[in-house]
Amino acid sequence: MSKWLANAIEQASSKQDWFQPLRAQAIQSLAEITWPTRKTEAWKYTSLRAVERFKQEAEIKKLRDSVTTIDEFDAIELVFENGHCQFQQIGDLPKGLTIVKLNEASSEMQSFALQKFSSVKPKRHLFGLINDALVPDLVYIKVADQAVIDKPIRITSLLSEQAQVHTRVFVELGQQAKACIVEHYKGELECLNTGFIEYSLANESCLEHYRFALQSGKAVSIGGSHFELAECADLNSTVVGFGSDLSRLDIDVIHSGERAFAKLNAFYLLDNKETFDLHTTIEHAVPNGTTEENVRIIAGDKAKAVFNGRIHIHRDAQKTLAELNNRNLLMSHDAEINTKPELEIYADDVRCAHGATVAEIDKKAMYYLQSRGVPKEQAQVMLNFGFINELIDEMPNQALAQWLRPQMKKRFAAMKVK
Amino acid sequence: MSNKEALLTIADLHASVEEKNILQGLDLEIKPGEVHAIMGPNGAGKSTMGYVLSGRDGYEVQKGTAVLDGVDILELEPEERAHAGLFLAFQYPVEIPGVSNLEFLKAAVDAQRNARGEEAISASDFLKEAKAACKQVNLPVSFLKRGVNEGFSGGEKKRNEIMQMLLLKPKLCILDETDSGLDIDALQVVAEGVNSQRAPDRSFVVVTHYQRLLDYIKPDFVHVLADGKIVKSGDASLALELEAQGYSWLQSSKEDVNA
Repeated sequence: MSKWLANAIEQASSKQDWFQPLRAQAIQSLAEITWPTRKTEAWKYTSLRAVERFKQEAEIKKLRDSVTTIDEFDAIELVFENGHCQFQQIGDLPKGLTIVKLNEASSEMQSFALQKFSSVKPKRHLFGLINDALVPDLVYIKVADQAVIDKPIRITSLLSEQAQVHTRVFVELGQQAKACIVEHYKGELECLNTGFIEYSLANESCLEHYRFALQSGKAVSIGGSHFELAECADLNSTVVGFGSDLSRLDIDVIHSGERAFAKLNAFYLLDNKETFDLHTTIEHAVPNGTTEENVRIIAGDKAKAVFNGRIHIHRDAQKTLAELNNRNLLMSHDAEINTKPELEIYADDVRCAHGATVAEIDKKAMYYLQSRGVPKEQAQVMLNFGFINELIDEMPNQALAQWLRPQMKKRFAAMKVK
Repeated sequence: MSNKEALLTIADLHASVEEKNILQGLDLEIKPGEVHAIMGPNGAGKSTMGYVLSGRDGYEVQKGTAVLDGVDILELEPEERAHAGLFLAFQYPVEIPGVSNLEFLKAAVDAQRNARGEEAISASDFLKEAKAACKQVNLPVSFLKRGVNEGFSGGEKKRNEIMQMLLLKPKLCILDETDSGLDIDALQVVAEGVNSQRAPDRSFVVVTHYQRLLDYIKPDFVHVLADGKIVKSGDASLALELEAQGYSWLQSSKEDVNA
């Protein structure tokens, strides 16, 4: 067993609280786990050395980061400071929205939450178990039946240097409820954090979701967003990634009610020696579900990108429509993109398509831009950036799109082309 | 005929695509302010002429020169040819999702002004111009925000080409079958766009299969391009003659010459 894991288990074993039943299960699973190596399929291209090397400071350093201001973006702000939820900043909540710290909630609510979310996050995620075992605060966000929350809810995780931090949120959307949730991870500091959020979408509810996985530099950032969709639920999710020493994200969508719709757009832009590893798993357990997944990756310099996109259509999930499209752009000979679409289809009446391509510059588009006077190098930048800008254009929240676009442009412009 | 210096002089131009000779000794002289129509059977080299002049990859020049405003453009990069004042309205404009029309147009105008040593235009002034150009070609202003030609209908793409021409103000515009796939209304919009730009220092080459476009854009000269060179030139009445008789009489007369 890795020293880091042994240490984590030891830390977890001393915790005594309402979450203990789940922690105990997690600890037991962790004790039996084989620490992943490059031979472990789920970690084939991403080394966990950065985790093993990570030295946690006994004393947490002062927090120097703060919530990012975004023009024309007015949100309900939920802030985690080194894993601890700061409630004083939330303010008055609109009708139909409840946000509670589960540690301080009634035992009925605690056991309800445990029960409700027991199946949303799959048990196979190593760091999901770590999070179960070590997370200090659990926050529960509930949007009441039929409630429409106009203001986006942003969850920001602020981290101190050398801190090891675990954050966890449960989100429940009642029937026909509507909400927008933005998960924001950022900063270049060396730290280790796991951030897991589980979403339960009731019948005909509608969630607009963003996960900005923008930690870079020396950060070790591991996490997941997991969704369970009931009948006719509608999920529109956008994942944006920068890379760091180690960034790993698992997205799981379970269609457990019929006629649910999931749209998942993900794009990541990696430079230097950054790593970003995205695993998505879409489970179609029932008939008539729809999934549209679009993943685009640009990797420059010596960056390494990993994408594993699994779509599993169960035997009873007839009339499923599932599409997975993955396009990749390598900006340098030393950059690496490992992509694996994985379709497992057990139903016979489904429409399911996938494609993964390594994109090259479209020569016709290049000539067209040049013929209008745009210099070749600039045309190249425009076209390459256009490749991910398409997905920024599709973001429903304009303020977020306008905030993100220049950042992505800047990152892209600074990329080393070799 | 004026005594002005030619704006474009193409002399003995030979060019090939994928080792197939297409242009085989093309000669053409265009003076400032003139409108020349180029007609001819399929495969004669009409579109190739536009691509060779604008510098498309894969179009090899074997021989000959093309001098635009004193500069031999055949050695230049496509963008440098644009800076020299050349504009090609494409028969099949390219769709570029993710690059907005406005961003593209601003980049093009900025690059051209920069190359000519002119001052940059401010974003707000440019937006005003772009909106006016949209209006002139009957495109909704919202098209400026959309990806370049993305999801545009055939007619909208052609109008977008003309809009670009309005903003770039080139010296020489080549319209490559801009009338193909257009209904009468769109054809009029395109023609009005072109006519509004006719000026003593600006020339047009209108490549078309049909006389119809020439009812709206009156040419000073009509040329027939066949087998990679000009086989007959005349005034606007030649287009009517071609419309009535087709091209075969030209080809048979050529055979007579050869006989």
